[in-house]
Amino acid sequence: MIQVENLQHTFLIGKRGKEKQVPVLKGVNFKVNKGEIVAIVGKSGSGKSTLLQVLAGFMKAEQGSIKVNGKETAQLNEAESAAFRLRQFGFIFQNFQLMPGLTAFENIELPLKLQGLRKAMRKEKVKKLMDKVGLTEVADHYPNELSGGQQQRVSIARALITNPPILLADEPTGSLDSETEQDILMLIQSLNRELGLTFVIITHDEEVATIAHRRFRMYDGELVKEEA
Amino acid sequence: MLFKDQLDFVTQHIKKNKLRVFMTILAATMGCAFLIVLASIGFGLQESLRNEILSNETVTKIQVYGDKQFTDDQVQEIKKIEHVETVLETISVNASAHSFIDDRDTTSTIVLTDMTDFEQVNGKLSEGTYPSKPNEIVVGYHFAQTLLNEADRNAIAEKSKKAEAEGTYYDGSEEGYKESLVGQTINLSLVPNTSTNEETEKMSYTIVGVMEKPSYDWMVDNTIHMDTAQKPALVENLSTLGEATGEELFYSEFNIFADTMENVKPILEKLKDGGYSVYSVTEQLDQMNVFFLVLKIGLIFVGTIAVLIASIGIFNTMTMAVTERTREIGVLKAIGASPKLIQRLFLMESTFIGFFGTLIAVIISYAISFAANAALPLILKAATGEEAFATNDITFSLIPWQLVVIAAAISVGVAMISGYRPARKATKIDVIQALRQEL
Repeated sequence: MIQVENLQHTFLIGKRGKEKQVPVLKGVNFKVNKGEIVAIVGKSGSGKSTLLQVLAGFMKAEQGSIKVNGKETAQLNEAESAAFRLRQFGFIFQNFQLMPGLTAFENIELPLKLQGLRKAMRKEKVKKLMDKVGLTEVADHYPNELSGGQQQRVSIARALITNPPILLADEPTGSLDSETEQDILMLIQSLNRELGLTFVIITHDEEVATIAHRRFRMYDGELVKEEA
Repeated sequence: MLFKDQLDFVTQHIKKNKLRVFMTILAATMGCAFLIVLASIGFGLQESLRNEILSNETVTKIQVYGDKQFTDDQVQEIKKIEHVETVLETISVNASAHSFIDDRDTTSTIVLTDMTDFEQVNGKLSEGTYPSKPNEIVVGYHFAQTLLNEADRNAIAEKSKKAEAEGTYYDGSEEGYKESLVGQTINLSLVPNTSTNEETEKMSYTIVGVMEKPSYDWMVDNTIHMDTAQKPALVENLSTLGEATGEELFYSEFNIFADTMENVKPILEKLKDGGYSVYSVTEQLDQMNVFFLVLKIGLIFVGTIAVLIASIGIFNTMTMAVTERTREIGVLKAIGASPKLIQRLFLMESTFIGFFGTLIAVIISYAISFAANAALPLILKAATGEEAFATNDITFSLIPWQLVVIAAAISVGVAMISGYRPARKATKIDVIQALRQEL
């Protein structure tokens, strides 16, 4: 499903003219199979967020190849990369990243709007999914009227609404208390089981990593496989 | 994203920042309205001068200079030029016509033309038809009004005196012959302008038509028009006075008429090439148009500066909008919005500001233009005491659709250009940086 080979990237840090080269990805290789939950664990500054950004196409790596469903994505331009994301990826962010001016319903609807779907069709799809993730009652609430757990559910629903084969999650429980964290992790597990969705979870939280089928540890720009 | 959804997205953001967007639209409106009103003065003055020239002259008429008479061959040759409708020979008589009907009489000028050509050139009459038989004539619009008897003359003298005492002027429009002149027979004698007040013997003519009212209010037209076939009869009538031979009192003037105004120029050029001294009022119009074109471009240029100042406001508003929404733009990009779409959404917003600014500006400009045209004559009259300003139709400000199109293109164009940089900036927003922004 995802095949990453020899991914390398260096950041330039410091004043102009006196920049220092800091390698963040030192030839990363890994593979994610269809229907798997893969966790990439690491401390801050280990390069795991950079890896996610390169994987998602938010930035280009200097070297290496990323194949998603057989398509080489490492060197796509910005527009191609955006179109690819819209079809292939769903995103779950640490801070939920919901639009404050839109209701829960409208937030979930947004990716469908980007896809150019008609209103009636969007309505039907969003309603069905809201039922599934238990958000029907808060459909008309704005993000600031929702609890952290509800916000993350909305965020997950938004990621799922376009039926992407792969979900990328960046610290999905980072802003939640431990009880809500368990809820969200269970939701991820059940989505994986029932819909066969593939998850790539980036986290520093060992607890989150326990739900993964396979686990990698990022350490100083290098990725090491761990036993689950 | 469907166009409707894009519109929704834009209007949602505008609603969230109503006051800021309203102020920006206001600035755009003021800039655009200033541009339109300023340029409308150029258009208005041009229109006034154009009307002044055109109401005086027939636009399709080409005048021939000099007293050189055309031969029949020359007339035929000119008639053959493409788009020449007719060559009209107008014979003036150096004598006044003294006409009598019942106890009334009037003095007027008399001109002879070929009535078929005259009809073609002159067109509609206000009443009656063109002469078809000998001894039939057409008279000017004011002919009846100038037919006076003793009682009328006294009444006019009295009213004039009264008017003079009030500082105004009486034009005699209440007196004169009140019945229709069509079908009436008048007796007409000629008084040569050359010498004594001797009158010729009376001849009898039937009025069959009355000309249209002249274009100027102050013009009094009581001319008698008759067919050139009447010339021998007039010559003979004048000869009886003996003093001058009749022929000497007649002189011809040739005017060439084009079928449409656009065709005057080529005909004029051909005639000039052929060695004729010719002139048309359109030449004057051409020169005037060049002058006003330059003037209007100048005014539009000055007006555009106001629009450019307004555009700074649009630029600011859009830059603020992009900065405020950095995180939202980041999320949109992350979930798959293309850079093109993001650019379009922001361009739509600045276009919206430009479009509504222009729309309101056009409405306001028409109102200002209307008010100025209504009020300025009164102000000028009060300031100068000249009655003419209040009665004449002087156009101070005119907004033709072309001006609206030009101003709209400039305003909306400038709005889009000032929104372009912020929109580009929005597409360049770094997703990671944007998502890291504090909520």
